[in-house]
Amino acid sequence: MVDLTTRYMGLSLKNPIIIASSGLTGNVESIKKLEANGAGAVVLKSIFEEEIIMEYDHMMNKMDQFESDYEYFDYYDYKIKEENVSKYLQLIKDAKAAVSIPVIASINCVSSHEWTYFAKKIEEAGADAIELNAFILPSDPERSSAENEKVYFDIVNTIKKEVKIPVAMKMSYYFSNLAQMIKKLSETELKGIVLFNRFYSPDFDIEELKVISSHIFSTQSDQVMPLRWISIMAEKVSCDLAATTGIHKGEDVIKMLLAGAKAVQVASTIYQNGAEYIQTMLKEIEEWMERHNYLNIDQFRAKLSQAKNENGAHYERVQFMRYFGEKESTL
Amino acid sequence: MEDLSYYKEKRSEDWRVELRKTKKAKERTLMERISMLEQDAVERSQNIEEVNLGLTEEMALVEAQRCLDCANPTCITGCPVGINIPGFIKKIEVKDFLGAAEVLKDTNTLPAVCGRVCPQEKQCENSCFYTVQLKKPPVAIGYLERFAADYERNSGKMAIPKVATNNGIKVAIIGSGPAGLAASADLVKFGYDVTVFEALHEIGGVLKYGIPEFRLPNEIVDVEIENLRKMGVKFRTNFIVGKTASFDDLRAQGYQAFFVGSGAGLPRFMNIPGENSIGIFSSNEYLTRVNLMKAADNNYDTPVSFGDTIAVIGGGNTAMDSVRTAKRLGAKRAVIIYRRSIEEMPARVEEVKHAQEEGIEFMNLHNPVEYIADQDGHVKQMRLQKMKLGEPDASGRRRPIPIDGSEFLMDVDAVVVSVGVSPNPLIPSSLKDLETTKWGTIVVNQDTMQSSVKDIFAGGDIVRGGATVILAMGDGRKAAAGIHDYLMEKVKKN
Ligand SMILES: Cc1cc2nc3c(=O)[nH]c(=O)nc-3n(C[C@H](O)[C@H](O)[C@H](O)COP(=O)(O)OP(=O)(O)OC[C@H]3O[C@@H](n4cnc5c(N)ncnc54)[C@H](O)[C@@H]3O)c2cc1C
Ligand SMILES: Cc1cc2nc3c(=O)[nH]c(=O)nc-3n(C[C@H](O)[C@H](O)[C@H](O)COP(=O)(O)O)c2cc1C
Repeated sequence: MVDLTTRYMGLSLKNPIIIASSGLTGNVESIKKLEANGAGAVVLKSIFEEEIIMEYDHMMNKMDQFESDYEYFDYYDYKIKEENVSKYLQLIKDAKAAVSIPVIASINCVSSHEWTYFAKKIEEAGADAIELNAFILPSDPERSSAENEKVYFDIVNTIKKEVKIPVAMKMSYYFSNLAQMIKKLSETELKGIVLFNRFYSPDFDIEELKVISSHIFSTQSDQVMPLRWISIMAEKVSCDLAATTGIHKGEDVIKMLLAGAKAVQVASTIYQNGAEYIQTMLKEIEEWMERHNYLNIDQFRAKLSQAKNENGAHYERVQFMRYFGEKESTL
Repeated sequence: MEDLSYYKEKRSEDWRVELRKTKKAKERTLMERISMLEQDAVERSQNIEEVNLGLTEEMALVEAQRCLDCANPTCITGCPVGINIPGFIKKIEVKDFLGAAEVLKDTNTLPAVCGRVCPQEKQCENSCFYTVQLKKPPVAIGYLERFAADYERNSGKMAIPKVATNNGIKVAIIGSGPAGLAASADLVKFGYDVTVFEALHEIGGVLKYGIPEFRLPNEIVDVEIENLRKMGVKFRTNFIVGKTASFDDLRAQGYQAFFVGSGAGLPRFMNIPGENSIGIFSSNEYLTRVNLMKAADNNYDTPVSFGDTIAVIGGGNTAMDSVRTAKRLGAKRAVIIYRRSIEEMPARVEEVKHAQEEGIEFMNLHNPVEYIADQDGHVKQMRLQKMKLGEPDASGRRRPIPIDGSEFLMDVDAVVVSVGVSPNPLIPSSLKDLETTKWGTIVVNQDTMQSSVKDIFAGGDIVRGGATVILAMGDGRKAAAGIHDYLMEKVKKN
């Protein structure tokens, strides 16, 4: 038997497959099922500021004009927030009571103030770690990249003042200087960085001339982004890296480990193939390790990272140049 | 109001027809709206006497002439309980002030109260022909209502309504706010044996412990309570239903129906860091301490010094009452902190105006994000974030959006958090079968105010979450009718 255990942000995982923050991890029944099928850990569904605003609007819409007492509803968003927060804390407590794998809470932050207070309560509720789903779409042409970047550091600093449990940040690749950003963030008190979050994206329906949602689930080919950047950064950062987006099969997990990830986070493939598919993926990894005579993950982790590879230039090649140019046209 | 025929009938009475002819509509519309007599702003900010002094008879007579006695009285549709507004105003015009009070009391149990605290500018006066069609200041309906009610009270001829002979059927009213008082008045008139149970030692609910003396003198509420006593209503204070006695206990004592008017007295907070420091109060606690426990009175056992700088968070009536109270207790700086602009504040326009005149500071587009305490745990500073207004939200008001990096510290001695209240959960949680909403309000049939528990009816803030005095009162009356039908049906069956 091969040993699949790994350590990620100071937590011991029985294997590197973490179920990513999503609807899959939004209730205890589902979390129990994920554990039963072999999940190494779960990241709970994020608690969102946006949802609170949406719920508030929904409520205001339902009131008719005569009833509308603004005084009563003026600050109702705080009440909704308190309710969502207490539900979330209950989810943490229930999940911790129901499973023995690590339970990582997830907060969606858009500013440094909003959720710091809440982080402390998450810690008290028993979460093993916190993942910050921090993202500001750099869409405001008036804001400098320095201003945008500062927010991420502010978030980490304020949260770390509140809690002792390990904190990770799940980030996007929307940075003008991605390598430096990852490196600098890894030098804060973060214990982990998750590369990369996948976001809701708009798409167009060209018949109805409407904005619609693009594909919710990733495809396997989306894994090229985390694969490249984990390989490049694995030996340059001062904290653990986890991979997410486009990891659909056992072989994809192996690739991310070879690149240097300590763990992977999956969502789409479990949505599409069910919780049982975790077992299939784990079996694939074991068989591969046996075939290659690896007894544990550390024996091959980061073997294909840029730093360990003579052909380091591969990782940074972006133009197709001759290699693809030689692919003859089939027209 | 779906059916205006009742009002039309009244309008075609001879005296009304004649009265309309005494002055041309055109002339009426050229008259200026009168202004309320008020205490001087500086003086009143140092006393607790009522700010508004009322209208003189002459003023009331002049203002009553402005009312056109419209064929289509839109003002009535603006009133949540459908008071016959032109009906009472025209009585004033013919100097029948007691008659005016009588018209008011047909629909409104507490006209002296509503004349003082209703948000008329959003209700009747907002639907007045002057506002809607002429774009001129509306008839001062609220002032006139107050005038008629005060006249009656001061005349010494306040009529005690007739009550039917006691039928011996016991009904319990829980809570002595406007909802409970209105329900008890009607039920006792129908002949029931009515007892009002009140948790506090004072009768009157928010009218007593919430709305301060300078806006609604206690004496006015006390007169109404005295009248109810004379009509036979019994009051039990310091009695918490659900604790002192359960519904089953009361049923065992023979109570056959219940009206729950327990209000929304559970303060809400913002749950921001440091909010449980000493010196941070809910407006509920603050106003109750001042109004009922005389906390600010140094002759009392529990004087509370609240300090020089008092910040009040919020923009509603409760916030205005708290901040103006703070000023009156001697605060050098009494400051409103509100995250939207002044236009979006839910408080009555008059309250905001009065507060401004009294030297209240308004820090609009500011929101607290943290409180900082000294070594003893007493609040000393608050971290404020500046806000800007974004897109309108579902209420049509522009949404406050925090400005990143705009935070700064402000020194404070005390903070009053006035961001709303929730229904008190005691009664809902003491009754398993009682249907409630996710907001903790009791679900009732809109016509009868009957809850999912057959012998329990409810109204006011416990049903609406938060509302107004007039809606609470209207609910109480509707429920009284519902209880009457329910009990008569029950009696018939037995
Ligand atoms: C500071 C303030 C200012 C306001 N200003 C205005 C204004 O200007 N205009 C306006 O129209 N509205 C105003 N309102 C709102 C208005 O006062 C309320 O909507 C109204 O009082 C609700 O009436 P109610 O009878 O439902 O409840 P309340 O007035 O709250 O009365 C409920 C009573 O029930 C008692 N009670 C609760 N539980 C129990 C129990 N278990 N057993 C026995 N008794 C119990 C409580 O002690 C209380 O006395 C204001 C409110 C506040 C707090
Ligand atoms: C339906 C759905 C809901 C998600 N919700 C969250 C969320 O609440 N918070 C978060 O950080 N990521 C969320 N994600 C992103 C996933 O956690 C994951 O990082 C992303 O889907 C990439 O992994 P995948 O390719 O395995 O799907 C969600 C993804 C999906 C498909």
